[in-house]
Amino acid sequence: MAEELVPALEESVFDLHPPMHQFEVRSIVPIEIGGVDVSFTNSALLMCIAVGLAGLFFWFATAHRSVVPGRLQSVAELMYEFIANMIRDNVGTAGMKYFPYIFTLFVFVFVGNMLGMLPYSFTFTSHIAVTAALAVVIFITVTIIGFARHGTHYFGMFFPHGAPLLTAPLLIPIELISYLSRPFSLSVRLFANMTVGHIMLKVLAGFVILMGVAGVVPFAVVLGITVLEFFIAALQAYVFTILTCIYLNDAINMH
Amino acid sequence: MPQFDPSSFPSQFFWLAITIVALYFVMTRMAIPRLANVLEQRQKLIDDDLEQAEKLKAETEAAIAAYEAALAEARAKAHEEIKAVTEAAAKVAEAKNAEVIERVAKQIKDGENRIAKSRDEALSHVREVAVSVATDMVTKLVGLSLDDAKVGDAVTASMKD
Amino acid sequence: MRISVELVVTVAVGTALGYGIDSWLGTMPIFLIVFLLFGGAAGVMNAYRVVKGLDESVGLGGAVARKENAEGKKDRG
Repeated sequence: MAEELVPALEESVFDLHPPMHQFEVRSIVPIEIGGVDVSFTNSALLMCIAVGLAGLFFWFATAHRSVVPGRLQSVAELMYEFIANMIRDNVGTAGMKYFPYIFTLFVFVFVGNMLGMLPYSFTFTSHIAVTAALAVVIFITVTIIGFARHGTHYFGMFFPHGAPLLTAPLLIPIELISYLSRPFSLSVRLFANMTVGHIMLKVLAGFVILMGVAGVVPFAVVLGITVLEFFIAALQAYVFTILTCIYLNDAINMH
Repeated sequence: MPQFDPSSFPSQFFWLAITIVALYFVMTRMAIPRLANVLEQRQKLIDDDLEQAEKLKAETEAAIAAYEAALAEARAKAHEEIKAVTEAAAKVAEAKNAEVIERVAKQIKDGENRIAKSRDEALSHVREVAVSVATDMVTKLVGLSLDDAKVGDAVTASMKD
Repeated sequence: MRISVELVVTVAVGTALGYGIDSWLGTMPIFLIVFLLFGGAAGVMNAYRVVKGLDESVGLGGAVARKENAEGKKDRG
């Protein structure tokens, strides 16, 4: 009897909440500019919420600007120092003038990842369009900085000093491809991590409902994975930012 | 996967650009200056405190050094004074000693003089006594009254023996 | 996860680059094949970096040297 029910239930649970449904971009306010659909979507809404939330957070956190920080202020200061130290360690003091950009990037990705962990919300960082756009802009900016600082010497980076000249035709294309693949690996990493985590949570949560009383087991797993996903959400924001720093370091200090 | 549906891309790019630029302005206009301000102030406060602590420490060290110098000076002075006092006392004692010795010596000498004088006197009286005794003895024994001068000569002559 | 991403992405980038050069010069499929191989090599290189825990700066030799340097410092410290 129960075995007969399971396929039917399974169908209904995953019909009602298909794991990919959460990634759907739905239009809220249709807007069209020059024949291009730029509707205000749930993705856009979440981006706006992220900005608003980050703004509110920093507003309240720094409202008193006390020398002995309160709880919120400590968190805000921690983030600030965290990114500042990251740049100092990975790029050096020459990188500090890019601090506002990197800080913005970190806050955006971090808040986006975290907002995605709320039920019924939407994770804009699980969209390749968003991560790729960020990564491509970072890549182009870093490359421009590299050429602006080093001119054509920047090409010299692709051929290591002291390597035999014969290996140049082999090493240069490899390093070049490795360099060009940066925006892709950067964007795919964030996108894949966020997507896989959310699918996994959704599927497992479906099993909780499916299995009834026995669903305690997957529920415990879901609980554990939710904690893990929070960790991954923070970690991926960190990885995205630190990779940006490493790329920037190449452009500024050129080994 | 809905992520690979290109129809949603323009909208996502559009809103991503708007929101991230908005966030950039929020961060650069509000959050970063405020946080930088707070951190700078704290750093300044810490630096000030450190500086003050350094100053106080220096002051303390100076005070200790001054105290030690004063102590050393006082000790040296005390030493000197003790030495001076000891020397003066020694001098006084020596002077007194010398005086006492002198006085004693003088007294001894006076005594000796007096003794010598008494003896001389006594000795000089011996002749007179001898004369008068001889005179008296002669008178009583013999019943003669002798001439003092003769007796004197006889005493002198016997004393010479 | 990261290793597979690195491999797939670099091979794809290499192939796309080869395809681009081929369509530009009309030499299909010479560069496509060559750059497919280069992409594979780059993918292996990046995967190697991930496995060995090297940094992601350009230049594998430099990354190895820096790691050894950092470890040397750690050993001495």
